[in-house]
Amino acid sequence: MGKFFGSIYDGIFNIYHESYHEIFQHLYDNGGYTSMGLAFLLIPLAGWILFYFLWKYPYSKIWHWLIWTAVMVLIVALVTNGIANAEIFGSDNQTLNDLLADTNTGYAEYAGSLPVKYVLTNSLLTLILSCIYSLLMKQFSKIHVHLPI
Amino acid sequence: MARKLYIFAIGGTGSRVLKALTMLFASGVKIGNNFDTVIPVIIDPDTSNGDLNRTKDILRLYQEIRNQVDQPDDFFSQEIRTINEMTVSSAVVNPEYFQFKLKDTDNNTFHQYIGFDSMSDNIEEKDDKNFIKSLFSSQNLKSNLDVGFKGNPNMGSIILNQFTNSDDFKKFGQTFGDDDAIFIINSIFGGTGAAGFPLLLKNLRGNRSMPRYAKISLAPVGGITFLPYFSLNKNDEVNAESFEEKAKIAIEYYNRTIISLNQINTLYFIGNRGNTNQEDYAVGGQEQRNKAHFLELAGALAILDFCKDVDSHKATTQVKEFGIEHDTQNITFTDLNIGNAKLLSPPLTKFRLYTEYLDKGLSKSLNVSRWTKSNIRLVRGNKQSLLNSNYFNSAEYNTQILPFNNYFTEWLREMKENKPVFSPFEEITADDALELVKGQTPKGNKSFKALDIQNCLLTDNISIRNREKKHTMLIKMFGRSTEKVLLKRNLVIR
Repeated sequence: MGKFFGSIYDGIFNIYHESYHEIFQHLYDNGGYTSMGLAFLLIPLAGWILFYFLWKYPYSKIWHWLIWTAVMVLIVALVTNGIANAEIFGSDNQTLNDLLADTNTGYAEYAGSLPVKYVLTNSLLTLILSCIYSLLMKQFSKIHVHLPI
Repeated sequence: MARKLYIFAIGGTGSRVLKALTMLFASGVKIGNNFDTVIPVIIDPDTSNGDLNRTKDILRLYQEIRNQVDQPDDFFSQEIRTINEMTVSSAVVNPEYFQFKLKDTDNNTFHQYIGFDSMSDNIEEKDDKNFIKSLFSSQNLKSNLDVGFKGNPNMGSIILNQFTNSDDFKKFGQTFGDDDAIFIINSIFGGTGAAGFPLLLKNLRGNRSMPRYAKISLAPVGGITFLPYFSLNKNDEVNAESFEEKAKIAIEYYNRTIISLNQINTLYFIGNRGNTNQEDYAVGGQEQRNKAHFLELAGALAILDFCKDVDSHKATTQVKEFGIEHDTQNITFTDLNIGNAKLLSPPLTKFRLYTEYLDKGLSKSLNVSRWTKSNIRLVRGNKQSLLNSNYFNSAEYNTQILPFNNYFTEWLREMKENKPVFSPFEEITADDALELVKGQTPKGNKSFKALDIQNCLLTDNISIRNREKKHTMLIKMFGRSTEKVLLKRNLVIR
């Protein structure tokens, strides 16, 4: 699973930088990719199940869907930010910690920008997945079948 | 075993009871006991009578709505047809056929009708004129017949005699089936009803020239006779002070000629003394448009009671009366006996919620709730609602559904304004819609939201969808959604 998510972040969004290989290797080995991947996959899934099947509000309009999407993006962004920071800066990987501590390596500066990249990537993925989930779930929804379109 | 119930509604009271029965049918009440068709027959010479025409219009709307519902199973499930429809298999709704037409009553006075001028007045030979004068007052003789008999059954018994020889009556005989039954509604204190009931019964039991006489003469026949239950605000040609006296005389006559001779299987009596309502004085015509009364609803219950026991009638006439559980002038469902409360509370509450929703709740959900949307993209066709704004703007909705609902609301309002008051419902707004039943305060959200949710849940249901019959989805959807909401909130008596 880590390989799959890794290929999304590194292959599609080109976040990988070979000069800072230790960070990406650590994320891969410690399930960081998996955690971040599951965050953009499962949080919107749960959120849209809640929206389409459990939230019984018969007067929903497009702006309800937009707000819900924004909430999903926000939650995923916060969770992703937390995972990325915890994985990179809170790890017990001594090699990585040493590299981060050594100001000459540039690791600390680069690592500081990484959570934002993952947050933006996951936010975009959440947006795309929200549309896909919505189009699939609306087929089976009884109350919000008319959303988003 | 399909069977028909013929209801002869005589005079203004007959029309008003028929109206109450139609409202019950619209609310989903069915006669049961395999009676699949009800055939109302209104007998009233007063063709411009306000009560009569209002009832005919209600029956027309009922039929028009029902014709646009595919296999109705709740609201409007009881089939109502005219005798004409039975004989010519016509789908055209014509409320005129609900009324038996009386000949020569439109522009004639009573003395013209009986040919008084051509009668002999030779005292020594054949003094017909003076004989007639001994039976009818000069006011009787001068009376125009197009407004009924103005409370004079002696006139009614002459005029109404003709209708048993009419084509309509022959058609009634021709369509009468083996297991069919007859019910007669009349008032005892007026003119048309008091005269028409014994006359009709006599013909049903003894007119050998009538088609299928052998069956009809032995068929189950029930009747409800209204004793005085309202008075008038003025005494003139029709005198309310004579109502009770006339009722006593008529009961005595009925006792001798109907009850003692077991001419009828069940005879219901209903009336109200004391604190009765005063109706605006009218001898007949358009002005006779009495407010709906609880006793007319009780009269409709008598018809259901008769049909329930139709197969176990005894050889002797059963006489029944109607009563309520609590002696009150402000009747609600909980004041009725439990059987009547169970019969009336669920359907009337459902239909009230439905009419109130269309009046006060639809504006919020139209084009918003998915059950009112038919332009949803990227879904299959059966996800689209048939109840979109086109439907709610359609001629059928505006000329059939809305007028009928207005009649229902008017009917409830009139019973509330009458004495005794029958007022089981509260006035509601969209925000407290579920507080509609008096004395019941449901927990949680009280708005129409619960109803909109149920409607959304039902939209895909294939059994309520039909494109050809336009009202199918509305009528079937609300039949189910109102039931679910009211049951869940425990708002009806079960």
